Amino acid sequence: MSPGTRIERMLRIIPLRLRSLFHAGDVERELNEELTYHLEQQTAANVAAGMSPDAARTAALRAFGGVELRKEQVRDTRGTRWIEDTLGDVRFALRSLGRARGFSIAVILTLALGIGANTAMFTLLRGTMLKALPNRNGDRLVYLRLSAPGEKRVNTLFSVPEVADFRASSRTLGEIAEYSDVMPFTLVGTDGRIVRADAAVVSGNYFSVLGLDPVLGRLTDAHDDGAAAAPVAVLSSHYWMDHFGGDPGVLGRIIKMNGMPAQIVGVVQPAPQYPNPVDVFINTVTSPHHLGATMNTLRTHRMTEIFARLAPNASVEQARAEIGSIAARMIQDHPDSYQKAGQYTVALSTLRDAENAQARLTFWLLMGAAAFVLLIACANVSNLTLMRGLGREREMLLRTALGARGGRLRRLLLVENLVLALIGGGLGVLIALAGLRLLILFAAQFSPRSGEIHLDGVVLAVGVVTSIAAAIVLSYVPRIGSDRLLAASLAPASRRMTLGAGRRRVQRSLVAVQVAVCMVLLTGAGLLVRTLMNLQAVATGVRVDHVLTMSLPLGGDLIREMGDQPGNLARYTRMRDAVAALPGVSGAALGSGAPLRSSMMAFDINAENVAVRPDAPTPRAALTTVDPGYFEATGIPLVAGRDFASTDVRGSTRVVILSQSFARQLFGKENPIGRRIAPTGAVLKVTPFTGDWRTVVGVVGDTRNGGLDADVSPEMYEPFAQEVIIGASLVIRTASDPDQMKATVLRTLRAAFPDQLIEKVATVAEIRDESIATRRLNAMFIASFGGLALLIAMVGIAGVLAFSVRSRTSEIGIRMSLGADAGRVRRMVLSEGAGVLGIGLGAGAIGALFASRVLRGILFGVTPHDPITLGTVAALLGTIGVLACWLPAARAARVDPAVALRAE
Amino acid sequence: MSKPNDLVQGTLDLLVLKMLAFEPMNGWAIGQRLKQLSADVLQVSDGSLYPALHKLEQEGWVTAEWRQTENNRRAKFYSLTRAGRKQLQVEASNWDRLAHAISAVVRLQEA
Repeated sequence: MSPGTRIERMLRIIPLRLRSLFHAGDVERELNEELTYHLEQQTAANVAAGMSPDAARTAALRAFGGVELRKEQVRDTRGTRWIEDTLGDVRFALRSLGRARGFSIAVILTLALGIGANTAMFTLLRGTMLKALPNRNGDRLVYLRLSAPGEKRVNTLFSVPEVADFRASSRTLGEIAEYSDVMPFTLVGTDGRIVRADAAVVSGNYFSVLGLDPVLGRLTDAHDDGAAAAPVAVLSSHYWMDHFGGDPGVLGRIIKMNGMPAQIVGVVQPAPQYPNPVDVFINTVTSPHHLGATMNTLRTHRMTEIFARLAPNASVEQARAEIGSIAARMIQDHPDSYQKAGQYTVALSTLRDAENAQARLTFWLLMGAAAFVLLIACANVSNLTLMRGLGREREMLLRTALGARGGRLRRLLLVENLVLALIGGGLGVLIALAGLRLLILFAAQFSPRSGEIHLDGVVLAVGVVTSIAAAIVLSYVPRIGSDRLLAASLAPASRRMTLGAGRRRVQRSLVAVQVAVCMVLLTGAGLLVRTLMNLQAVATGVRVDHVLTMSLPLGGDLIREMGDQPGNLARYTRMRDAVAALPGVSGAALGSGAPLRSSMMAFDINAENVAVRPDAPTPRAALTTVDPGYFEATGIPLVAGRDFASTDVRGSTRVVILSQSFARQLFGKENPIGRRIAPTGAVLKVTPFTGDWRTVVGVVGDTRNGGLDADVSPEMYEPFAQEVIIGASLVIRTASDPDQMKATVLRTLRAAFPDQLIEKVATVAEIRDESIATRRLNAMFIASFGGLALLIAMVGIAGVLAFSVRSRTSEIGIRMSLGADAGRVRRMVLSEGAGVLGIGLGAGAIGALFASRVLRGILFGVTPHDPITLGTVAALLGTIGVLACWLPAARAARVDPAVALRAE
Repeated sequence: MSKPNDLVQGTLDLLVLKMLAFEPMNGWAIGQRLKQLSADVLQVSDGSLYPALHKLEQEGWVTAEWRQTENNRRAKFYSLTRAGRKQLQVEASNWDRLAHAISAVVRLQEA
């Protein structure tokens, strides 16, 4: 048939089919009437031919050949039979599943968890790994990294002369783009409000090399390179959305990047940002440092990342080989820039691999785990189905005897399982949707592409296909209507339907494995929970409650701003006093940093008249400048000597206060008060700080600025008014809830100091919790997986027991008629469950001992084989397991011996 | 030897279409007319007419409406559609070819 006539036919018959389907009543009535008319006419004709009325009617009927048969033949011509039958099957399935409510709920829940876990993991995998990069021809992009394993440095980035070498020699790389993310820039928005933005300085070809398109305006090109170009900025789309509300009017506006005016020329399409998130891309002229001699001539001044596009026809392998040889030549030509001990090497990988490097193993493992969960879920459901199938073998036999063919029965089962699986799958997708936020947060730890994770059509389709596949698999588990079965059911022993010992062992081992896996997962979660509890209990050394902090950095060009030291001191002091005067604030203090945030500045320290052993590392401490109220406001106790005073200012004797452990490290048991120390080392030279001697006037308590899990950090404090000011933080003690004071403090500061950038507004409690946020996330993640596995395993164990009870009904009947009471029967079933449970728990405990070693790195205050955790988890699992066994045990105890035996 | 009134597979459709090409008819009348015209050679079992009619209807080759008969009874009258007329031509020519081929084979002179 040609396509044209086929379409013609479709147009012709579809209305007819629809009528058959939706006006089935009318169609049937008409058929009836039509056939009745025929029979009456024939009868009348027979009578006219001389028959008696009765004989005439009988003859007419006989000639017709069975009215119902003819009706069936007519119905078959409608071509809608399969739809009607399927609808009938669906109705039937819903009815029969509605009767077996416990079974249905268990199956739907199990499948929902299995399919939900898979959908979630597939969403994760698809968003981050499987989808092509959104960049144009993203698979042709490569990323270079220079490493010096001998100096324990990975990805040192490249210097401009190195980039030039690659650009000059490489034939396999097309264009090479340069990218360097810089210290956060201060950006003055078009509304005059000052904000901080993450900026990256990029070469003009950056966007074309990366294959990115503008969503607004234009991106940079070669004309934007060099000192003569106009300063321009390209916004990333998330920054454009978040800070400019997606306003197309931003084009042409001027923003100030560290005081340098730059014109917004465009917004780039959303794309994963590697290696770091960027708000604003600027050209080299906007960052004076990038035009300087250091940047452009010093071979060891490495702050540039190399992104490149493979030349046409070049393969990744060719590029890798070529880059390797160029690098080898480069290292040979400049021996002073690459110390031999460093073992410098350059590695090339595709951009996609570079972006996925951190996530690949974790995500695939998770996908594997999810697939395993689905497998287990299907196994459990098949156990349940098998059990139900046993009860239904009579029903199936009856149907077979009444003429239903095997295919028809199979279809009935398939429809039933489809109904279950699709409901389960739908629920599963909802579960995945609910877990998506947690998933994205989790993924963001590993992948720059976490933003691309979302449920889409493909994911939904995979969910549906998974459901259907599960249903098909499950439909082939119960045996139906085979001849062997027919014979067996006619034999008197028909009710003794049990599985072979081998099959039963498989069933049980499966459940034991589930319990074991649960045990492993829950132990992991338990260890992380214990870690969190331990971390919460760690003494931070500072007051955690009722302290609000905020960072007030110097704005604009740091170097220029720092020139005005007296002005800055006066301004910060005014800010402090304005906040201190607020009602509800019981104290305010200035410091270069907030408590528990590690200081950016750390120096090697010389102590006067103390010889450092040559093999010992130079003592090193982080420097924080604080004003006289700081220790009181933060609750850091003064252990010896005095606090700073208002007289410790520029021009007076330089003084310093040490943290307790650092004082001990420097001076041992001697009294540190009155001794002198000075910063030293290579780092000092590139900072505005000096190596003058400072006299120790006090010792304060230790704090953990490196995070709750780190050791106490060596700290030194200098007077805020005596040291170089490179920014400040406010520490505010509040009488009431510090969260409620946030708004008031911010309003006051913004009103009086509109030019001041305010950042990192957080209570000390929040700062403390930041350091354990990742662990909390991981704990939640593992715990949710554990919980999921737990539910499935419990359904599994209950299913197996129920199955066993069902197939032993007559045995139980005999036992009861011989005198076993209900309690004894219950114990018998429970002990059967306990056996499986015990084996699972034992195997799980051993597994947990091995598996939790991988957690070692993120545990705190608890060993991977912590007996308390192991014991608690085992007890919990055991209890829940016994509860799960209770249902089938109770059912067994309710067996009526008379009924059970009569059924034989 | 098979009975002479056995219909070759699929020819019932052709016969029914041909009957309806003259005028709209109801099922009983079609059966009567077939017997008359073929001088009782083609004896279509009364009942088997209806599945055939409904199949033609579902294919859209015939269409049906309820009408009064001459003796004032309601009956379902079938008539040929445009598509049905085309189908009749196709099936009639198919039949011609088949009949010619078969008679050609049958008339072969045995040596």
